[in-house]
Amino acid sequence: MRNSAIWHRWICRTLLGTFGLLFALPFFWMVSTSLKPLRETMRMPPVWLPVPPQWQNYPDAIAAMGPFWLYAANSLTLAALNVLGTVLSSALVAYGFSRLDWRGRDGLFFVLLMTMMIPFPVVMVPLYGLFRELGWIGTMKPLWAPAFLAGAFNVFLLRQFFLSLPRDLTEAARIDGCGEFRIFWQIILPLARPALLTVALFQFMATWNDFLGPLIFLAREEQYTLALGLQALQSTISGTPWHHLMAASTLVVLPALLLFFLTQKTFLRGIATTGLK
Amino acid sequence: MTFGERRKTVQGLLFVAPWVLGFLVLNLYPFCASVWFSLCDYSVLSQPVYLGTRNFHDLLQDPVFWKALRNTLLFATVSIPLSTALSIGLAVLLNQPVGAQGFFRTLFFLPCLVPAISLAILWQWMLNGQMGLVNVALRPWFDAINGLLGSSLQPPDWLNDPSWALWGLVLTGLWGTGQAMIIYLAGLQEIPAELYEAASLDGTTAWQRFFHVTLPMLSPVIFFNVLMGLIGALQTFAVPYILTGGGDGPGRSLLFLATYIYQNAFDFWNMGYASALALVLFCMITILTFAAVRFGEKKVHYEGR
Amino acid sequence: MKGRVVVEYWEKWTDFERAAMAARVDEFNNSQDRIFVRFLSVSRVDQKMMLATAGGVPPDVAGLWDLNLPSFSENNALLPLDRLAREAGLQEEDYNPVFWKLCRYRSHLWALPSTPSVVALHWNKRMFREAGLDPERPPRTLAELESFNEKLTRKHPDGSLAQIGHMPQEPGWWLPDFPSWFGGASWDGGGRLLLEAASGRAFFNWLESYPARFGGPELFRLRGAFGNFASPDNPFFNGKVAMILQGVWMDNFIRKYAPAGFTYGVAPFPETDEHPQAPLTIAQTDILVIPAGARHPREAMEFIAFLQKQKNMETLCMEQRKLSPLARVSEEFLRNHPHPYLREFQELAQSPRAQPTLCLPTMKEYTNDMLVYANQVLLGRMSGEQAREEMAARQQKALQAKLERWQRVAQVRTAAWERELAR
Repeated sequence: MRNSAIWHRWICRTLLGTFGLLFALPFFWMVSTSLKPLRETMRMPPVWLPVPPQWQNYPDAIAAMGPFWLYAANSLTLAALNVLGTVLSSALVAYGFSRLDWRGRDGLFFVLLMTMMIPFPVVMVPLYGLFRELGWIGTMKPLWAPAFLAGAFNVFLLRQFFLSLPRDLTEAARIDGCGEFRIFWQIILPLARPALLTVALFQFMATWNDFLGPLIFLAREEQYTLALGLQALQSTISGTPWHHLMAASTLVVLPALLLFFLTQKTFLRGIATTGLK
Repeated sequence: MTFGERRKTVQGLLFVAPWVLGFLVLNLYPFCASVWFSLCDYSVLSQPVYLGTRNFHDLLQDPVFWKALRNTLLFATVSIPLSTALSIGLAVLLNQPVGAQGFFRTLFFLPCLVPAISLAILWQWMLNGQMGLVNVALRPWFDAINGLLGSSLQPPDWLNDPSWALWGLVLTGLWGTGQAMIIYLAGLQEIPAELYEAASLDGTTAWQRFFHVTLPMLSPVIFFNVLMGLIGALQTFAVPYILTGGGDGPGRSLLFLATYIYQNAFDFWNMGYASALALVLFCMITILTFAAVRFGEKKVHYEGR
Repeated sequence: MKGRVVVEYWEKWTDFERAAMAARVDEFNNSQDRIFVRFLSVSRVDQKMMLATAGGVPPDVAGLWDLNLPSFSENNALLPLDRLAREAGLQEEDYNPVFWKLCRYRSHLWALPSTPSVVALHWNKRMFREAGLDPERPPRTLAELESFNEKLTRKHPDGSLAQIGHMPQEPGWWLPDFPSWFGGASWDGGGRLLLEAASGRAFFNWLESYPARFGGPELFRLRGAFGNFASPDNPFFNGKVAMILQGVWMDNFIRKYAPAGFTYGVAPFPETDEHPQAPLTIAQTDILVIPAGARHPREAMEFIAFLQKQKNMETLCMEQRKLSPLARVSEEFLRNHPHPYLREFQELAQSPRAQPTLCLPTMKEYTNDMLVYANQVLLGRMSGEQAREEMAARQQKALQAKLERWQRVAQVRTAAWERELAR
């Protein structure tokens, strides 16, 4: 029994290592390119370890992008607002679609699914007009207010998780005369922490990397986000400064990377019990 | 409705109220506007001119539409099963007690964190016909086969060959399974350890446990990921758009429906035609998703029901 | 900045091109205290401008491309500038006629040029020398180009191509304009495409001759080895292609990425006509427009007029390493310009046979189709005849649809323009 466990462990490690290397390749290439002089950046096949590493590319990239720290602050603000709005509203709505039985629930849920099937390009123009009517063009509101209205993706995700929690939990609480909101807040939410963290993480990343939204709705450089600022390093005619672009991209990736690395530990702790307290 | 039912409906609606508001304002209104546009000739900056169903007639006779449709469906059919298998496999692997799990999980998730522009450049390099990493890795195999059979096969020039470009894209799509993998991992964590203990006490093998405990308990999450994968694959736009520089790829082999819609809306000033295309895409996704939901609702196992 | 009128200016440039314009904007802002130009670098400026205009919040000045002009003006996105320009003292005589033409559509002025470009043959002198050709003598006719092509082509022992003299799809950025080198235009300026004319046929036959002479699969394999355009692996820099058609900006890339000791020459790209009266080239320009609904059109025009002054324009173009669109060019500009072949490009631009680039109302569809069909022919997968016929049919239909749309609104539109100009 012991030997096969060790075998098992090493086979897993090898598989993980090989696949992991393949998956990490884009990131390695990005970092490697960020440390090369411009002429070497696009060479094929690439040199993986640039010697000597051009650390200067990083401050240069920051300078080339413009008000880097302002963009970073904007990205952070938007991300925080979006995460807050999304987690709160999606959990609430998902509860309604999963732990409650009411007429029209499943039909309405299918409508929710259908909203994810509308191709974005054709929706852009009416949406833009709508925001203009509200006077939101020129502000950052179009980029975070909709988060408080529960996006379909996150509602769907949380619904699936809420549905996998045993029925007995809520039944017992209802028999005890507990109100629905209390059940939601005090029983279901704590149990669904891994899922809520997942939603928070994904929303953070989506907002952090989103450049289409800021591109369309922002008209002042002071409001630009990091993702949009990266565009400044892509030139149409004079040739993109790849070393700067990759250095800037690495910097933009780092916060999300750190956040992921730190929070994924809580997934480790999330083994649900059937704890009927 | 009885009084009890009505009360429950009101309660349900109260909980989902935020979404309903968002739906009416951010989804329904633009959608209805878009349906109206699909019946018009509309260039965004002029008033729409009613045309009846002409856009739809043109659509059915447009060979580029059919090509884009074919590309989109082909891509979805191949990439969804592949990425599902890969992400579940990886999640199971990552759930094993092998140590340094945090490190490995981060590695797999990295491609999802890299900005689209960097990814696209990387794919261009990796899929290069002569010097790309993929072909450099494949060439020894091809040489071996050539040696055995006396043939002169070459690994494909992924990005320039109309017959292979789409498969190159499928390959690059597999790198994005990190997100689905994390969701599977969270789902795996939720499976109570007692179930596995009970099963192994009964003397089952690891494979049996996988098929009889893991998969059923994971089924709500599988359902979610496959559905999201379907909706996402049918709306693929960003990566091919960046890879081809906003164009169609060799022989139009990388033209997806979403790309064609975007081109018509913003490059060709044919927002009316684009809306018609979007409506067709929307209906297609709805039908396929409906079929998937019907199928899934029977097979998926919910503890909470 | 208090009390000043704020003019919003959206421009597509980044890096040193942006810096060049930013310096002019600063000069303008410092030269007077009534107007402040807020300069914003925007990617996808055409899409964003379109959305903003639809939403009723356009900028006051936008930097677009010449090929945006027909569709934007027809679709009500731009302000006609005839009167504003005249009042600001800008006249046709001050400009190189080909660039002025690019700013006009349906008998109105819609834009003023910012920085222009023309195209020319670029050849690799070292490769010429190695092939036994005089490195200082470029081909003067298309027939000569092809004979040089044969001499410059080398094969590997296994039959695959090692290098080639010329390949139409490298870089392939002017394929829609190419029939001009075969003696004719692609469009009659109105409702008819002329792909069926002799020049269109000759062009597609020429494309077809490539797989016939070099082998479709071999061309394909050679192309597969081309590296990124902006890198030392650009096929023109690393000795894979000896002659290309490129614009005035190519020197920037050569400076950055070509190997040390790279020498190249510039000459008019050869055409079928053996004795042309004057050299042929295609002219393009970045343009400055005032969107319809702009809040401060007069102030916007004041800024644009500032840029059009000879001194400012020449500084801008010199810093962007391009040529000047004006009729008069100062000696200092020609002397101090960092581009080694600027005089040649300036002369080309001033040739009586310099042609404005094709600016169809359906330009994007046309270019997309041309790329797809040209590639199919060059790979030997389709005959030139078939490609030409299919493309002509498709594009004529698309053009027809656009013309119908125009017919529906023509009266209303032109009346509105006249009213705007009479205000």
